[in-house]
Amino acid sequence: MQERLSEIKNQAKDDLTKAGSIEEVETIKTRYLGRKGGVITEIIKTIPGLPPEQRSSTGKSANILKNEIGKWIEEKKDGFNTSADGSFSLPLPRLKGEIFDVTLPGEHKPYGRKHPLTQTIDEIKGIFKKLCFDIEYGPEVEHEYYNFDALNIPADHPSREDFDTFYLGNKRLLRSQTSTVQIRVMEKKKPPIRMIAPGKVFRPDTVDARHASMFHQIEGLMVDEGVSFSDLKYVLTLFAQSYFGQDIKMRFRPSFFPFTEPSAEIDISCSLCKGKGCSVCSQSGWVEVLGAGMVDPNVFDTVGYDSEKYTGFAFGMGVERLTMLKYGIDNIRLFFENDLRFLSQF
Amino acid sequence: MKISYNWLKDYCKHGLSVEKLAESLTNAGLVVDTVSPVEDDFCLEVEVTSNRPDCLGFIGVAREVATIVRGKLDIPDVGYDTMDENINDITSVTVEDNELCRRYTARIIKDVKIGPSPGWLQKKISSIGLRPVNNIVDITNYVLMESGQPLHAFDFNKLSESRIVVRRAKKAETMEAIDGSKCTLTDDMLVIADFQKPVAIAGIMGGKDTEVSDTTRNILLESAFFDPRSVRRVSRKLGLVSDSSYRFERRVDPECVDWASRRATKMILEIAGGQAVEGVIDQNYLEDKKVCVTLKMSHLNRLLGLQIEKDTAKDILGHLQFSINSETEDGFSVDVPSFRGDVYREIDLIEEVARIHGYDKIPIKSNIGVKLTQDNQFDKITEKTKNVISGLGFNEVITDSIVGDSQNRHGTLWSETSSLKILNPIRQDEDLLRKALVHNLLRVKKHNQNYGVEKTDIYELSKVYLPKEDDQLPEEKECLCLLGEEGYLALKGVIETILNHLNIADSLESTHFNFGLFCPEKSAELRLGDSVLGFIGELSKEVISDYGFRSKPCVAELDFNILIDKTNLESSYRKIPSFPVVTRDLAVVTDEDVTWADIKRCIESLKIDYVDDIEFFDVYRGKQIERGRKSIAFRITFRADDKTLKSDEVDILKEKILTNLSNSLGVNLRA
Ligand SMILES: [Zn+2]
Repeated sequence: MQERLSEIKNQAKDDLTKAGSIEEVETIKTRYLGRKGGVITEIIKTIPGLPPEQRSSTGKSANILKNEIGKWIEEKKDGFNTSADGSFSLPLPRLKGEIFDVTLPGEHKPYGRKHPLTQTIDEIKGIFKKLCFDIEYGPEVEHEYYNFDALNIPADHPSREDFDTFYLGNKRLLRSQTSTVQIRVMEKKKPPIRMIAPGKVFRPDTVDARHASMFHQIEGLMVDEGVSFSDLKYVLTLFAQSYFGQDIKMRFRPSFFPFTEPSAEIDISCSLCKGKGCSVCSQSGWVEVLGAGMVDPNVFDTVGYDSEKYTGFAFGMGVERLTMLKYGIDNIRLFFENDLRFLSQF
Repeated sequence: MKISYNWLKDYCKHGLSVEKLAESLTNAGLVVDTVSPVEDDFCLEVEVTSNRPDCLGFIGVAREVATIVRGKLDIPDVGYDTMDENINDITSVTVEDNELCRRYTARIIKDVKIGPSPGWLQKKISSIGLRPVNNIVDITNYVLMESGQPLHAFDFNKLSESRIVVRRAKKAETMEAIDGSKCTLTDDMLVIADFQKPVAIAGIMGGKDTEVSDTTRNILLESAFFDPRSVRRVSRKLGLVSDSSYRFERRVDPECVDWASRRATKMILEIAGGQAVEGVIDQNYLEDKKVCVTLKMSHLNRLLGLQIEKDTAKDILGHLQFSINSETEDGFSVDVPSFRGDVYREIDLIEEVARIHGYDKIPIKSNIGVKLTQDNQFDKITEKTKNVISGLGFNEVITDSIVGDSQNRHGTLWSETSSLKILNPIRQDEDLLRKALVHNLLRVKKHNQNYGVEKTDIYELSKVYLPKEDDQLPEEKECLCLLGEEGYLALKGVIETILNHLNIADSLESTHFNFGLFCPEKSAELRLGDSVLGFIGELSKEVISDYGFRSKPCVAELDFNILIDKTNLESSYRKIPSFPVVTRDLAVVTDEDVTWADIKRCIESLKIDYVDDIEFFDVYRGKQIERGRKSIAFRITFRADDKTLKSDEVDILKEKILTNLSNSLGVNLRA
């Protein structure tokens, strides 16, 4: 019975807090204290029927509660009479002359956040969705074939060596790039293709402030008839301007990747020093943000696309790097230590 | 690759300022990382991509510059006079392994005077960070930097039987290298030997015994082509890297082997005096293959999305020393020079034209238009789930997939098979792919506690890797792991909220579950219909003391794929009831072994249409209840869609429910 009373108490408190008008308060009064059928009234009526040892304590508690609810109801009504919005908080025993301190801090419910890397990936997905790109995923443990052979990476390429890729035996490895997903998607689907593939990649790099053995990449691919280097520049310019801002400057410069030709690396003007040169951009005024290029015909041949008919471009970016640039984070390890004092800043 | 601004002008009078030169090279694909002043010169640090070994020498870089400015490339003359004596009369070269050594040339210069190099030579090699040694060594270094072709000079008189054998090392053979390191060789390593012993590790470093010293009078000059893969392998194995190995690994120009040898000989004669022996020993096993590629301008312009004239393309390729051998209306064919092993297809020529013409001249325009995109269910459900969990106050974490053996210390969740092992881990104690997320979350909790963060409500949604047979790829199971600080019921509430938001019809069933990580009392296996959704439990005392936790976290790990399977994204609107509800609050007394699920199921089994909801209030044990029993309070809400239920109607139903509870479970209304 004691639990029941405390339940009623909570319920009454709740009802009163929610009540928005004097009329509602009156209804609540009837519900709890009404002579006929009032919740408390009914309980008091049952007291004589209780086992003797329970009678007095239950009676006492019920009466205390009855008075308490009565007092709250009056206070709530006062509230409507004195303040326009009927604001009312319970239980707040007030003394005469007491002044409510409106400058006290608000009360907070906990609110969790997504990991900053998730937020970056979500933002980038959002941009590419507007450009009609699909989102694709692939396995993190891969066959050597998808990580190297199909991507036109020759058998003696340095990236295949032990200190650049984690091996699991039997031609299996932890993918060292999300480009694997390009191949898996092209094996399944015919052009036209527009997709991005976010995900984890792994490399046995020496771990330091800029390198972690696990990190995230986003790979992109567009294939159709007549896709040109102009399209590549157009799509990646739109992307960079959406992500970094309209006023950035961009630089496309030739580079080399085995699975694209011609290949490019894309720099944006350093936002920290506005191109004058600082430690973030190694004094060059530029920071590298994307690798890209026209899909190498050998890759198309491997997946069975007609490389005379179709052309396309691919690109890739490092999620940690973009996040670090955006927020000025100087140590990649912060992302994986998961210190709540760090995570709660995003 | 370090480039001296002044030295580069020997090969191309480009007229560019150092800033402009750096910018032009960068825009053509040779990124200039830094420009540092050195006395009256500048040293440029140029990044050369692995496909362009031809730019690992000044002449190669000068060729790019000459093309960029459409200027002239000046290649030094290599003619010199010789004495009558022929090289074949005084030495011989035997190549025993012509797979690993594809070409070997030797020249001999007699009666040289070893001494310091002249000032101009010292200054040049110093400007790119090389330390002057003596005139012969400085000249070989100079020509190496100029041409990209490594050279080595032996003290000819110190070669046993005055001859060279190019062979694989014998087992456990040793050699002391020029840098003082003592190398123990294996039979997969190619060495240059004399009659007795190795005198150089092919392509990597010469030996101390035969190096050029103050007393050297006669020199054997080596210029060769070694198999790139072999040089790389041996260099890694011995931990020896040199300017030579760097270039051999990336493939030197087969045709430059002899040119560089002549160039060095000429310079030695000019600087160190002496006389060149007539002739050269040239063991050449390289195939002389001419590569000819055709470029169609229509292909080029379509792929790049611009309009370049044929003459422009011809001009660019001509400056890069591709020779045009035939021409059509739409294009032309070129012979590829020997130093451009990376070019063998039309696309490769397109790239050459594009990068010299300038990527900045390619317009930023497109008519790609719109396209229907696919719905990604996984993404939708993931996003919804994360939003719900975040809304309940949990922070998302991301932890490493590679873990140590401690993950199995308290038992494994999803699979008994031993974890996939990385053959080449960074740290020997972290070489496994995780089979569960929960241990990582405990580590995150620990990290936070160490830094004074006491309340750690966190979650991770990532993959675990469950091994399959043999060489198959593992099952990558997407798991959702939660760690909460408010106990079992609070965390279960979070899970129920997620199920609710994902509109999952199956009800969540919990059964006691014994698992090493959990305290035996408050832990359960969670099921949705026939599927195991996952596991939940407060941590056991042992685990809490193991980690030194100051709180008592509750963790849950769920199979996210089950949530995806069961999610129903197509929800429809339910009419808001128009008739009032009638509630009855009940408190019943039961034996300890009767669960809330039993009571609820018992009520539901009556299939009373008017029962709208059964809401649990609390469990009470204490004074007024006999030992070994408990009181459970709950509320039943009755509602009809078509009428207002009458009080006595409801009371009849209530009695029916109580009778059934009493008969099936021995549960009675509390007095
Ligand atoms: Zn900067």
